[in-house]
Amino acid sequence: MPLHVNLYHEVQRQELARRRDPLRLGMMGLAVIAVGFVAYYFVVLEQAHVVESQYAALQDEFSRLDPKAKAAKTREDELNTEISASETLVKNIDSRFYWAPVLDQVLKTVPRTVQLTHFAAAAPTGNASVNTVEISGISSAIEPRKEAEALRTALNSRLGTQFDGVSAMFKTLDDSDEIVMLDGRRLATANFNIEIKLQAKDPSTVAAAPEPVRKSKLIAAQ
Amino acid sequence: MKLDQEQIKKIFLSTLLLIALLYGYFAFLLGPLQASEKAAAAGIDTVTPQIADAKKQINRTSQLEKQAPEAVALLNNLKDTIPDGEPIAWFPPKMTDFLKSHGIDKSTTHLVSEGTDPTPGLKRMVWAIDIPKVDFVPLGVAISSLENEQPLTTILSVTIDATREDAEYQHATLTISTLVKS
Repeated sequence: MPLHVNLYHEVQRQELARRRDPLRLGMMGLAVIAVGFVAYYFVVLEQAHVVESQYAALQDEFSRLDPKAKAAKTREDELNTEISASETLVKNIDSRFYWAPVLDQVLKTVPRTVQLTHFAAAAPTGNASVNTVEISGISSAIEPRKEAEALRTALNSRLGTQFDGVSAMFKTLDDSDEIVMLDGRRLATANFNIEIKLQAKDPSTVAAAPEPVRKSKLIAAQ
Repeated sequence: MKLDQEQIKKIFLSTLLLIALLYGYFAFLLGPLQASEKAAAAGIDTVTPQIADAKKQINRTSQLEKQAPEAVALLNNLKDTIPDGEPIAWFPPKMTDFLKSHGIDKSTTHLVSEGTDPTPGLKRMVWAIDIPKVDFVPLGVAISSLENEQPLTTILSVTIDATREDAEYQHATLTISTLVKS
């Protein structure tokens, strides 16, 4: 076996020492970390760029939409005001009290033996809903008070079919000295004054057929 | 392995440089970038619902715009039926003509009062119509027609009195309110 003598062992040891130099290794490690940091910086830069461009696009969209939305809001307010005014007007028209049916019922109820001298009807003011009708007249019969009472009850029942809360009450009922001739008979008379309170029927109960109801008022009056 | 004086100095300086670089990296490069990203993200969170609201508002208005003509048609139609000009000039003749068309030849109409109405562009006027001589039935027909044909008119009161001169006829007074252009 041949004998080898390494005459470069010192050179090799120096080379090994140079390669294992902690300063050199440290610098290399730092360089790797620095490259990692730079890479991470670029990743974050790209992310930030994406987010910022998204934000810029959204801002641009918003700046285009915002004036339109403000104009739309103004227009919506205008339209809502118009619609609400229209609805209020329709409600007011629908909630009017119709006097023609009252006159019609009075005309149908008053018998030949009664002459009306005064009729006054008034719609309520403010938030009240009760309408008042005042009827004055002369009833003539053998028992004129009974005749007046018959008229009062007839008005009560007839008006009760078309209106709510009907109440007909005598304010006055006085015998009169006057004698009238009717159908060749002398009849005693009584002066009366009846106050009637009535309300329009709840619209929900008559809403099923509003047109015929209105039409019938006209036809009935005619 | 022993570090010589020169190497220790290098390590110390390198460490100082590293700290300075790390500070610069985080404080002047990564920090502002992350802050701007965060601000942009917060901005997105703010602006996204605003955009959604704006779109919703525009859609809502366009829907309303489609429904509105139908809803306000009645209001506009009724407004169109009101003549232009001072009501005192056109309303009394209108009522006289209306009553004449129902066989009531003599009537006078006076303005009683005027007030505001919640409907924009309209005001309410109250009138008294005096009919010195009328039969009950034609009056009832006229009142019925008025109530059916004039939706802007409301009869506030009706007074009918028997006349002493002629038992066949009555004296009537109507108080009516009507909406006119303001």
